[in-house]
Amino acid sequence: MLKDKIEAHLLEVQRPSRYSGGEVGQVMKDKSKVDVRFAFCFPDIYDVGMSHLGMKILYSLINERENYWCERVFAPWEDMEEIMRREDIPLYALESLDPVKDFDFIGFTLQYEMSYTCILNMLDLAGVPILQKDRGEAIAPIVCAGGPCCCNPEPLCDFFDLFILGEGEEVNLELMDLYKDMRDAGSTRSEFLRAAAKIPGIYVPSLYDVAYNEDGTVCSVTPKDGAPAVVQKRVMTDMDKSYYPDNVVVPFIEVVHDRVSVEVLRGCIRGCRFCQAGFLYRPFREKSAETIVRQGIALCEHSGYDELSLSSLSTSDHSQIEGVLDGLLDYTADRHINLSLPSLRIDNFSESVLEKITTVRKSGLTFAPEAGTQRLRDVINKNVTEDEVMRTCSIAFQGGYTQVKLYFMMGLPTETDEDIVGIADLAQKVVNLFYDTPERPKGKLQVSISTATFVPKPFTPFEFEPQTEKAEIIRKQQVLRAAIKSKKIKASMHISDVSQMEAVLARGDRRLGAVLYDVWKDGGHLDAWDDFFVAERWYAAFEKNGLDPAFYANRKRSYDEVMPWDHLDYMVSKKFLIHENEKAHAEQTTPPCRDFCGGCGANQCLGRACFPKKEA
Amino acid sequence: MQDYRIVFEKRGRVKYISHLDLNRCMLRAVRRSGLPAWYTEGFHPHMYLMFPLALSLGAESTCEVMDIRLTQEVPPEEILARLNPALPEGLKAYEVREPKNVTQDIGSAEYEVTLVGEDLAAKWDAFLSQEQILIEKKTKKGMKELDIKPKITVTDVSEADGALHLTLRLPAGNEGNINVSVVTDAFAKFAETGVLVRKVLRTKIFCLDGAVFF
Repeated sequence: MLKDKIEAHLLEVQRPSRYSGGEVGQVMKDKSKVDVRFAFCFPDIYDVGMSHLGMKILYSLINERENYWCERVFAPWEDMEEIMRREDIPLYALESLDPVKDFDFIGFTLQYEMSYTCILNMLDLAGVPILQKDRGEAIAPIVCAGGPCCCNPEPLCDFFDLFILGEGEEVNLELMDLYKDMRDAGSTRSEFLRAAAKIPGIYVPSLYDVAYNEDGTVCSVTPKDGAPAVVQKRVMTDMDKSYYPDNVVVPFIEVVHDRVSVEVLRGCIRGCRFCQAGFLYRPFREKSAETIVRQGIALCEHSGYDELSLSSLSTSDHSQIEGVLDGLLDYTADRHINLSLPSLRIDNFSESVLEKITTVRKSGLTFAPEAGTQRLRDVINKNVTEDEVMRTCSIAFQGGYTQVKLYFMMGLPTETDEDIVGIADLAQKVVNLFYDTPERPKGKLQVSISTATFVPKPFTPFEFEPQTEKAEIIRKQQVLRAAIKSKKIKASMHISDVSQMEAVLARGDRRLGAVLYDVWKDGGHLDAWDDFFVAERWYAAFEKNGLDPAFYANRKRSYDEVMPWDHLDYMVSKKFLIHENEKAHAEQTTPPCRDFCGGCGANQCLGRACFPKKEA
Repeated sequence: MQDYRIVFEKRGRVKYISHLDLNRCMLRAVRRSGLPAWYTEGFHPHMYLMFPLALSLGAESTCEVMDIRLTQEVPPEEILARLNPALPEGLKAYEVREPKNVTQDIGSAEYEVTLVGEDLAAKWDAFLSQEQILIEKKTKKGMKELDIKPKITVTDVSEADGALHLTLRLPAGNEGNINVSVVTDAFAKFAETGVLVRKVLRTKIFCLDGAVFF
């Protein structure tokens, strides 16, 4: 039995309970009474995957259906992978410990481009043919994927049967229903895929032919066998009616985000031009305060967690945030539950909200001004002013905070050295403010600056922009280091080739499938982990396939270029993205959606304006 | 305020969770159970939950002990009825009593150990008839040699289904704890052929005076 084989070696690996299952909250079913089995695969290790909210939602959602069983699958760490390969242990699901290859669906979530090689490795560990074309006509297993990176899944087209665009709450079940009927009727894989392509939100890459221009850009994408010319993402229009679990699997080991979270809203009203999530998840939809409070309480009661987090792209943009906090604090305060709000914005971080969260536990404050000068913040439409940063820090210092983290990006469009020096200046002003605050706390001040290399992403106004090359980023980092004067400022900047590969894959086309395959073949198994990322492996694979990473990462695209993802529709129009790009170069900002509708087009799914028109 | 000692089993795949993870798991289980747990006062209040004797990762047990303080008296059967549904597969509380002994009383523990390998019974005899059984022990001052022979009490040896079944009593507690793996590792080294540890099951905890820890 596979179970015995696994157990015989579990004590040889670190954190064996990553691989043993059996946690509280896992869903067990009687196989003989289950019609369709779904292996929900997270292409990273347990500790990371078990922190992922989307998996928790979809896991419970599928398992609500008595005759469908969704189980969890994670990538093994290298110690376990070695044992699995040596002892012929195939990739298995944690609930039943059954091999993944015996499932009806093998579904991956695409959260991060650098996890792509891990997907290939997991398919290989599962014993499933890595290339879609090698899977034959038997209907199972269907290898599919969902998640944000599906907005440009082109580099993965060689490996997947289908992609699920947008939010999965409805479409996943529609897909499983169709599968069940067609399998029972004896359909083949290609028959099923042709039928699945007719479900809104389902993209079957093998039903599209891509032609390229001589310069390497995409010429056209042509659908065949009745597949739609454009596939539009799925959206849940009413968040109060949308499924949300009241329980989760509670891991034994400490995972990255070890808490329960309630999603408070989807979408974002801010329109930061670099932020892919801010466009992909439009339109803005929030849950009512009552729903949030009810769901938060249920999760705490059922899981036993002592930390509840409010999850969204920008929690303080919830129109009833104070009501939400009051309702939850009423419950959490005398139950020793910590309420955490990870995504607060500087500009609307009110004193009363701060007071409410400081009643629970003090830790560091994290801000993301993203750029060092107002000019560049206007370019990227990060509508945060220096005054707002100072005002919030002042409140925070008075409230007892002594640690401030500031996040920035480097290599943003139109960036100059003045903008880089501005990062150090801003941090210095925060330091000065601390010492100018008479009621400052006793602790030691630390202002941390962290910089990341900007990666242009599809479906953002910066999808046309070139990524700054590594040598230039290194120079900019030196400029920043030289500009930092205070010992209270700690800068963490690191440089690697990962950002470029991320940029390549984010805006890549189907030809990159061969590169991914070669990187994996050459040993790239956990490239999302810096320790396992080997740049030479990637450059060698590009060389071998006659492709140039700079073509994908560092090339400026014209507005009329056919993007590899142009046949996928995330409801935000390309016209809007172009307009926003022009405004960026003109250093003009766009107000938040709540104040003024920029006309991105995402409200088409709501059939109304996202916000009631403001009185003039 | 009332202290209770809860005796529970740890069987099956839950043996892969470490002592720290077990602690966190129990905290959450108590929260789920709705038992009126007492929290420490102070800046970071925490639930008063105490495990007098840790169990190594990979070992199972029929006699694990956890002490908890509740804000009020709760009948033992109610504690069991509320806690058990909140526990994961493999953890099962079966007795609740008032704590009598304290951690410092613990002196030894008994284990059932099943080993698989070639000709193990004879090798085990030879292993035990050595004058000394020296192991390397990490101390603050570096590696130190230690003779564990006097510390091993074998209360039963049998062979069945091609496996060697041992019942061992080893020092446990704050002073000179010896893990089963120390003995099995030393034996594996001595036997030279592969020794597979198939099962380690803790069955009893004793006080220094030999009485059962209660």
